[in-house]
Amino acid sequence: MKRGAAAIAALVIVLLILAPLRLNGYAMDLTYITVLSIGLAYGWNIISGYAGYFSFGQIAFFGVGAYATGLLVADLHWYWVPAALVGGVAACALAIPLGYVMLRLRGPFFAMGMFGMAQMVRVLVTAIPATGSGSGLFLPPGSGITGVYYWTLAVCLGAIALTMWIEGSAFGLRLRALREDEQVAATLGVETTRAKITAFGLSALIPGLLGGGYALFLTYIEPDAVFSSRLDLQSIVMAILGGLGTVWGPLVGGLVMTQISEVLWARFPEIYLMIFGGLLVALLIALPRGIVPAIAARFARRRGA
Amino acid sequence: MSDPLLAVENVSVAFGGVQALSDVSLEVRNGEILALIGPNGAGKTTLFNVISGVLRPDAGQVHFAGRAIVGWAPHRIARAGIARTYQIVRPFGRLSVVDNVAVGALVHARSIGQARNDARDIVTFVGLETYADRPASSLTLTQRKRLEVARALALRPRLLLLDEVMAGLTPTEMDGMAEFVLRLSERGIAAVAGIEHVMRLVMRISHRIVVLDAGRRIAEGDPAAIQADPAVIEAYLGAPLGRGD
Repeated sequence: MKRGAAAIAALVIVLLILAPLRLNGYAMDLTYITVLSIGLAYGWNIISGYAGYFSFGQIAFFGVGAYATGLLVADLHWYWVPAALVGGVAACALAIPLGYVMLRLRGPFFAMGMFGMAQMVRVLVTAIPATGSGSGLFLPPGSGITGVYYWTLAVCLGAIALTMWIEGSAFGLRLRALREDEQVAATLGVETTRAKITAFGLSALIPGLLGGGYALFLTYIEPDAVFSSRLDLQSIVMAILGGLGTVWGPLVGGLVMTQISEVLWARFPEIYLMIFGGLLVALLIALPRGIVPAIAARFARRRGA
Repeated sequence: MSDPLLAVENVSVAFGGVQALSDVSLEVRNGEILALIGPNGAGKTTLFNVISGVLRPDAGQVHFAGRAIVGWAPHRIARAGIARTYQIVRPFGRLSVVDNVAVGALVHARSIGQARNDARDIVTFVGLETYADRPASSLTLTQRKRLEVARALALRPRLLLLDEVMAGLTPTEMDGMAEFVLRLSERGIAAVAGIEHVMRLVMRISHRIVVLDAGRRIAEGDPAAIQADPAVIEAYLGAPLGRGD
């Protein structure tokens, strides 16, 4: 089963690498947004899937990455790739003190607290005059979508590799232990604060790196576009649908969701959102732990029989 | 005489208006089994929470191996050599039995592979090897109790705090657990066993007994002395007869 899954994953990755050679226009934009959302889902999966801290505010780090890149490119005339890297580092640097405060909250309080925090970060970023405040920031025309797409795909693959490492590492075991019971983990020697903040920092680094690419993709950024609750929610649903705290969940959830959404949109343009919502609810009722754990359980049963 | 391994000194804890612990002191020596007995609500779990760093006392100090540990984070206390179990078992349900134990083993292991190897040995030692790779949520209560002890042992502690490890066990299982604690003691691991009932076992395994009642230490001594202590009989040992249960 492991070998089969790895073969499918490898095929998907090869297709994604080759995508810009065959696709253009709408299909290329859609592929870019899909890969972007999957990347965001991988970022979210670390703090929320592995550490169990449900965040509704990781998009703040995406916005910070986008604006940092925008400022460096538009005002300081940096080349966009180093600017996007700095955007990721800035998001991560912001996450560490923020996490120190926010990760004292638990459960719904953390979830709501992060939602509020994202709004605050958004207001603060747009209060800086250089960001053009609420009216936005124009970027010089960039390298076109191909460069942005490969950047995003590279970050996304990096996020998958990082997740694979977490899955098998001592750090990952500590995260899963504190997800199950933080107090018990602490009395078993786990330095929970440090583990949580590290996870939070990684969960901010990934959207931070992706934000810079998105700024280039849009060429014009304004608060609503980059602190996008739609992108945030979409990536969260992808991770949950695929399987929280699993290596392949965000990828599988992301591909399934995008495909369903596109097919429905093409056939039932007026009511596709309604059907899509209903289908999502049905899927989550049928597979409450997500697609990947459901498939894994089925294979485990077959092997056991 | 050498310094005690653990010295609890004049510890007090209040929850709102309830005085959970009042000026409690006790000592545990290397390899000693101290039974901490007292009726439900006497403050046993609160004392364990203070020693393991989960709860900061309002007053008093705790010395472990010569160091004052009040105010230390729980993980630091765990790494220093104090391990505990929980009265209401708290396994990491979605983790395998081995991984439950490996979390503690990480403290001494150089890699996760080594931690899992160490964990497997401990899982075998407590007799759970058949279930090693199953999720902990699939274990029965008795097995979960053993898992609690296995996780604690993975820290290679010098002191084990056992919170009601006998509760919910059948008489045969209790004997097994008692043997287990005695074996640990022979290996030099001290234990504080918080026990509400089962005096038969308390008398058999403990070197010394401290009796708590309503947050106060009302007696201390060897098993024979405690059995004869009128205050203990009144507060505790005699009570079940009086209540008729």
